[in-house]
Order: sequence, then C-alpha cells, then structure tokens
Amino acid sequence: MEFIAFVIAMAVGFQARKSYTLIRERTLLYLSTCFILIGAGLLVESLADLTVLLNRFHRGFLFLSGVGYTIDFFAQALAYCILIFAYLKQTRAWSSQLTAAIPILFFEHNAFSELILVFLLAYIAAQTAINYSVSKTTNSLLVFGAFASLAIAHVLFLFFTIEPIFFPLAHIAQLFGFLLLLQMLLRVNKAQ
Amino acid sequence: MMTAQPVPQTKPTTKYRSQFRIYVDIMKVIQREQNEAKPTRILYGANLSHDRLIKYLSELKALDVIQETGSEEKVYHLTQKGIEFMNNFRKVEMFAEAFGFKI
Repeated sequence: MEFIAFVIAMAVGFQARKSYTLIRERTLLYLSTCFILIGAGLLVESLADLTVLLNRFHRGFLFLSGVGYTIDFFAQALAYCILIFAYLKQTRAWSSQLTAAIPILFFEHNAFSELILVFLLAYIAAQTAINYSVSKTTNSLLVFGAFASLAIAHVLFLFFTIEPIFFPLAHIAQLFGFLLLLQMLLRVNKAQ
Repeated sequence: MMTAQPVPQTKPTTKYRSQFRIYVDIMKVIQREQNEAKPTRILYGANLSHDRLIKYLSELKALDVIQETGSEEKVYHLTQKGIEFMNNFRKVEMFAEAFGFKI
C-alpha cells in the first residue's frame, strides 16, 4: 500500500515540477518538493518494512522498521511544513504563524509524532476546504478529500498505539487519500 | 494558533511574473477571439497601453508563439507552439488551482 502511495506522491511531485519548469512559479516548486519528500519517506519506510518482512522479522533487522518510520516521519513533517509555508506565503501572513509551528517539529515518540502530523494535516485540510468553498471545482474537492483522508489516516495511526485493528484501517485511509490525488492528476492531464 | 485563510485572488508579483502574466493575457485574448485578434481587441482585452502592446507583441513574435498577418490591418494568431503552450498552461493552472494556488 505504501509503495502505491509512493508512486502517486512522486507522480504529483513530478507534475508540480513540470509545471514549475513551464512557468517558474515558486509555489509550484514548494508543492513539488513537498510531494517528492512525502514519496521519498514512503519509499524508505516501505523498503525498510519489506527488508524486515523478507528476513522473517529476524531480531537483527527489526531496528530497520524504526529507522524507516523515523525517516518517513521527518520527511512528512518537513513536507507538510513546506506546504503550509506555501499557503501562508500566499496569504502573506506567514512569519509569526510559521514561527509558532517550528518548535513542535522535534518530538520523536510515535504517538507524539503522529499527533504532529495530524496537526499539520488538519491545517492543510482546512486550507484546502476553504479553497474548495471558494473555487467549487471537482479538482479542489479531490485535493481536500485527499488531505482529509491523510489526516484521518494519521489519527488512525495514533489510535493504533492503543488498538492494532487501526493499523490496516490507517493504511487504507492513506491509500484512499493518495488515490484521490491520482484522480485529480488524471483529470488535469485529460483536460483540453 | 494557526488559522486557515482563503487564498487571495490576486497577488503582487515580480517583474518576471508580471511580464509572464501579460504574455499569457495577450495569448488568452487571441485564443478567445477564435485565434484571430486585431491589436485593438488585444489592447483592451489585456489592458495594455499602445506602447507596451507593441513591445509585448514583438517579444511574443520573437518567441514564435504568435504570428502577424495582414498588411494594412494587422491580425494576430497563435502559432502551433503558442497553442501547445496555452494547452499546457491551462493544465498547470488547473493543477495549481486544485491546491488553491493562483498563478
């Protein structure tokens, strides 16, 4: 599931990069960096998990799962901060708000790290909801749905520390979010 | 506490951006006029002064995205390269707008 999400994140990242190359708009560069970081984090985590799985959960390889998760967390946190920065920069009210967001980046515990991602994603989901309420386009609705699903996924990852059943549900929610982004990407590329 | 805010419809841009935006506005006017626009239509449609219009039209011709026909009354058309650029630009615009970014 994470590998599919990685492919979609990279596709969105490269579309943003291609768009940036065409018109040199910096917000597109931020968007591209954001999704390439998310994709890289997902790839590292899925490769680490795959290594653990292929070695049949051998004790010597179990630490890789933690390494993969940590790298993925920092990649995602940085990516969502970049996206929030892009939104705040466009609304020209970023400096004080961004300063308030930075100190919370340095938690390492899983539950706290998920909470940070939930917080960042909730902000992005709220921003994309407002964008949808203004533009009323299907594409902006898909982007809102994607970030809302990703926020829900991280809420479920948070609950996973209490109840294991939430783990597959979180992955399904995450995949659903990336599939919505894929649909948006396909719609944009189909447009004449 | 951070609060989400609506993205403004317009924003000040750099010199390069404003020049780029004017290029796009001129090409949009030509496209809107069924790929056959007279200078006066472009002038009003892109909201430009006469001097700036002449300057930008010659720059766009040099970029090979528009072409000029007619001897007495000039008419401007998008070239194949210009049409392809506008198609790609529309996709970029849709992609950026999906995330709430105005370009």
